[in-house]
Amino acid sequence: MNTYEVLSPWAEADSIPWRGISERISDLSGKKIGLLVNSKRTAEPTLKAVENRLRKKFPDASFSWFYNLKANEIAITTNKKGDFEKWLDDVDTVINAYGD
Amino acid sequence: MYESITIEERNIPTVSLVNYGFLNDAESASRAKGMPYLRYIPTNVPCESSVIFDIEAGIDEVMDKIVDAIIRPLSPEERSPEQKETSKPQRIIYKGSLEEVNRHFYTHGWSDGMPVIPPTEEAVAEMLTGTDLPPDHFLGKLQSRNGKVTIEKIAVNAVMAGCLPTYMPVLIAATQNLIESEPGFNGYTTFGFSTGSWAPFWVINGPVAGQININNSSGALSPGNIANAVIGRAIGLIIKNLGGVRKGVEDMGTMGNPMKYTLVISENEKESPWEPLHVELGYKREDSTITLSFPNCYLQHIPYTSDAEGILMAIADNMPRGMRYNIIITPAHAKNLMREGYDKEKIRKYIVENKLVTAKKMVAFMGMGPVREKGSGSKSAGETGMVPLIDDPRFIRLIVAGGPGAWISHLTGGGATPGKKEIQKIELPINWDDLVARYRNIVPEYERY
Repeated sequence: MNTYEVLSPWAEADSIPWRGISERISDLSGKKIGLLVNSKRTAEPTLKAVENRLRKKFPDASFSWFYNLKANEIAITTNKKGDFEKWLDDVDTVINAYGD
Repeated sequence: MYESITIEERNIPTVSLVNYGFLNDAESASRAKGMPYLRYIPTNVPCESSVIFDIEAGIDEVMDKIVDAIIRPLSPEERSPEQKETSKPQRIIYKGSLEEVNRHFYTHGWSDGMPVIPPTEEAVAEMLTGTDLPPDHFLGKLQSRNGKVTIEKIAVNAVMAGCLPTYMPVLIAATQNLIESEPGFNGYTTFGFSTGSWAPFWVINGPVAGQININNSSGALSPGNIANAVIGRAIGLIIKNLGGVRKGVEDMGTMGNPMKYTLVISENEKESPWEPLHVELGYKREDSTITLSFPNCYLQHIPYTSDAEGILMAIADNMPRGMRYNIIITPAHAKNLMREGYDKEKIRKYIVENKLVTAKKMVAFMGMGPVREKGSGSKSAGETGMVPLIDDPRFIRLIVAGGPGAWISHLTGGGATPGKKEIQKIELPINWDDLVARYRNIVPEYERY
């Protein structure tokens, strides 16, 4: 039986340095919660449902919405970068929806 | 996920909501961007759902988890993840029989499910005779994995697919086209991975097409011609093995698409009364090029009559809805159209003016998100009149191909923004004529019965 010594088809790739995620906040009471809507149809109603439930549980929390409707483009690469960064400066945490 | 990573980098805690079916994709995306412990919550909210009952039920199940993801203190691993050592892939990866090599490649996720030719040193060396570039020449990085594309890696995947060395210049140009594809929604980074199951459609123009026997006549899109069959197949393997785009992990096509096995034709420039695609796009007729778009739909129909009016009315009536439109017209129909004064520009104008849909339906198609910008799906839901389906005639591409018969075909889906990257010149090695002479007679000779 013939045997074949074969080359790998799989490409090399530079390893990306792993980074940790940011520190959490201790409580949602009194915090400003960012709701980030992406281009998916279900994103806005999903986050609306989240907001309604959080309002009941944390009555003194406030909410701020941002829409990045450019499919497959992150907000900092769009012409809304300035608005997005300003929005981020004003929120304590972000809930992002929806995949997919 | 990428959006959440950019926010985490600004020291703001995030949580992302994803459908259960996208967990592999979410994990792959967060690892690929170097943030493996990004917090995301799988939910039963259906993909693209507009049914509030389903959405609220899905959110009710995970509300506690959403809050927990925002307030639960980080574990040491989440704060400072320990980088796993990634070993450099071995060049020689396996030794075995034909069956064993095939099983090894399949079980490692490196094949498309069909048998592969073992990429031995000898076979890869022969494939490399198709280019003057050295094996370690670096073309760039291919997403989503940012795999390093070298000429040797292209050749390995070309051997697996069953390519001839004369296809190497085409494969190199095609891969370059993918690497340089427009970022964002209209390029490979969407259409290579998206739920829409878009398939790369490659149109080869110029002298190379005839020299390597790309079929543009009877059954141009059917199996049976090695060049059409394996060039598309090789590019599919390159996307998988160099780009790291695997079905159900990074390629999240909902239905999938048989056109992903291969979708390659050339334009029948000899029989076309019009200037060929690559000349339209700014190249010389004697240049050879490969042009890329991403249809996810194939449809065929016949004209109402074979004069210009019957052909064009049938095209306008039958074209499926998409974002970019490839219309393949036979040489016979093209000549009929030209005889009545229709060049490509005039045909596009006719289609834009005559392919009308109700404004309300425009909103329903590709209606992503609550605010619609100008472009596909741009018409207000309040409008009730008829509006053109296509905003820009440049979204329509006319290609002359196909054999005898009265059929017209449509390959409809996505593609580049007009003027952005979609075409790549094919560069040939110095000994091209000798190579062509060596391989051009590899064609099927059908026995009469």
